[in-house]
Amino acid sequence: MPNKIERLKVFFHWLMAVNVFFLFMSSWWMLALPLPSENFTFRELPFQLHKNIGITIFVIAIYLLAVRVSKIRRKAFKSPIKSERFVEKGHLVLYFLITFCCISGYLSSSYSGWETTLWWSLDLPLWAEENDSLNILFSDLHLWSCWALLLVIAGHVGVALYHAFRSDLTTDKMYRW
Amino acid sequence: MSIKKGKTVNIKWIGVTSVLFGILLVANNSNEILRQAVVLPGSVAESAVAADCRPDELVEEDLSLKECELMVSNIQIMLASSPSWFRPVTICLYILGLVSALFSLVFGMRFVNSPESAQRPLYVSFVLLVGIDFLIFATTSATGPLLRSIYLWPTLIWFFIHLVLLVAVVSYNSESKREVN
Repeated sequence: MPNKIERLKVFFHWLMAVNVFFLFMSSWWMLALPLPSENFTFRELPFQLHKNIGITIFVIAIYLLAVRVSKIRRKAFKSPIKSERFVEKGHLVLYFLITFCCISGYLSSSYSGWETTLWWSLDLPLWAEENDSLNILFSDLHLWSCWALLLVIAGHVGVALYHAFRSDLTTDKMYRW
Repeated sequence: MSIKKGKTVNIKWIGVTSVLFGILLVANNSNEILRQAVVLPGSVAESAVAADCRPDELVEEDLSLKECELMVSNIQIMLASSPSWFRPVTICLYILGLVSALFSLVFGMRFVNSPESAQRPLYVSFVLLVGIDFLIFATTSATGPLLRSIYLWPTLIWFFIHLVLLVAVVSYNSESKREVN
């Protein structure tokens, strides 16, 4: 039976997967909603939800990254197998991109002047004054890092499916909790 | 891809693809429920209020003035083409679909390591999902061309994905029975 940390890792992995796809899908349609004004407040709920889920994902990604790094450290040396080294690097790139997407999105939001209330209960402080050019810069970084993330996710899913179809037990632990 | 290794059938792919599509469907249905919660009938978009397209916002969003104005039309399309019964019915169907997708996700995971115990609940999940897809398709068919153009095709794709997985679960059953005989 998997231990508690393994179980938690598996649970967070799938929770994050659902939420990342949710964020991709919601961002595509919510940006087609009318721009915010006194009359039009359609964006309020989806944007707040987007930020809340993004911040939560950031915390989970940091946890998963810490578990991954400690696993690499425990090995104490680099794996001699090329494919194993590739897997480690792939996961690190994945976690780096997820955290980068979250940070760039949050900074873009901070520079836009819109406040963030975490899960409608905790007002997060504004880290910066409203600044249009920095908002655009971080918004662009958010956009392009998210495209890169989608590309890496496609590769990650492809490799996972490859192992599952070959039935080589590599990914079986991710379906056990 | 080796689905068959000698005489042993690798049925793991059924569980793995159930998990993958389960995740995508949970995300998809949550989005639909959110969309229905945001685009409410009786909102200001139904009246003739013009879009508020400030030049600085247009630069920030990388939008043309025309695009900004059409964003309001986007909402008007949704509202004008939805009969009064459409919103409550689709919300119910998408919630049912969300729950069934969660079941297919959980039992798909179990199917990878223990196909015997997960086969029956996975079968039930896909029967439900195929039924729900059919109902969403039928519901949307009864609306106008504007909504049909948005919903019909993705619903049809989901219907066939779930049909393929349902048939795969059923055929796994008959395969194992044949082996016993």
